Amino acid sequence: MSEISAQPRRGMQEIDLTQLSLQQIIGLKQQLEGELQLMQESMASLKVAQLRYQGSGDIMEKITPETEGQEILVPLTASMFVPGQLKDTNEVIIDVGTRYYVKKDIAGAKDYFQRKVKFVTEQMEKVQAILIEKKKISDAIMDVTEMKIAQQQQALQSQAS
Amino acid sequence: MEELSMKMQSQLQSFKQVQTELQKAISTRQQLDGQLNENDIVKQELDLMPEDGKVYKSVGPVLIKTDLLEAKQNVVKRMDYISNEIKRLDSQIETLEKKQVEHKTVIQKLQQQLAMAGGMK
Repeated sequence: MSEISAQPRRGMQEIDLTQLSLQQIIGLKQQLEGELQLMQESMASLKVAQLRYQGSGDIMEKITPETEGQEILVPLTASMFVPGQLKDTNEVIIDVGTRYYVKKDIAGAKDYFQRKVKFVTEQMEKVQAILIEKKKISDAIMDVTEMKIAQQQQALQSQAS
Repeated sequence: MEELSMKMQSQLQSFKQVQTELQKAISTRQQLDGQLNENDIVKQELDLMPEDGKVYKSVGPVLIKTDLLEAKQNVVKRMDYISNEIKRLDSQIETLEKKQVEHKTVIQKLQQQLAMAGGMK
């Protein structure tokens, strides 16, 4: 989960697309497409993370003191369960990453998941902004490519005639 | 002519080798970056814990209770280690990139020489 910045990087410079050769433009387009794909992938994994945190947060609403002693099914594998009883409805243990787990009360856990959802959503917004920007550039490149090809064809035709 | 193409071959080979090394270094560097971020997030979370907060560490299939302070120190230590690794890799990447450029210029020169030799025939 890395921080994503929309700041232009050092060494970036403006280039006039129409000044590039067709080959250069095609190269640029391929590079951009690769970047776009990478970002769409990170968007998808962020979405998964967001849903997971959201889901865990929703479960916290269901664990109340009244549910103490209630029977539950504990999953041993994805398809096998054993019956159990809720013994402690005040505290939960949360996986915070790198193999560390912390004990939190329900309010603390809710807060934790809310914070996480917010963090992931913010990251998604940043990626989305960059994605839109890249899409724009990609469209511009498409236009220039078409123009260049038309120019070349014209030149060929005038040569032939 | 023969000699030139031999030189070219060996240059190309070492160029490719540098390229694979560079790619490997870059992907390791990305991995470390991810780990550093993950540890940073864990550290933030541990810092939010109250002093008597209960922390567990998973060792295989079990959770073992750990001292909060110890856990914090551990994470910081790991972050230091990863940061140092990143620094090391960055300098490695820099040298490899330099090497790559050097190889490129040599190859270009050889290409020119080869073209010249071919033209003279």
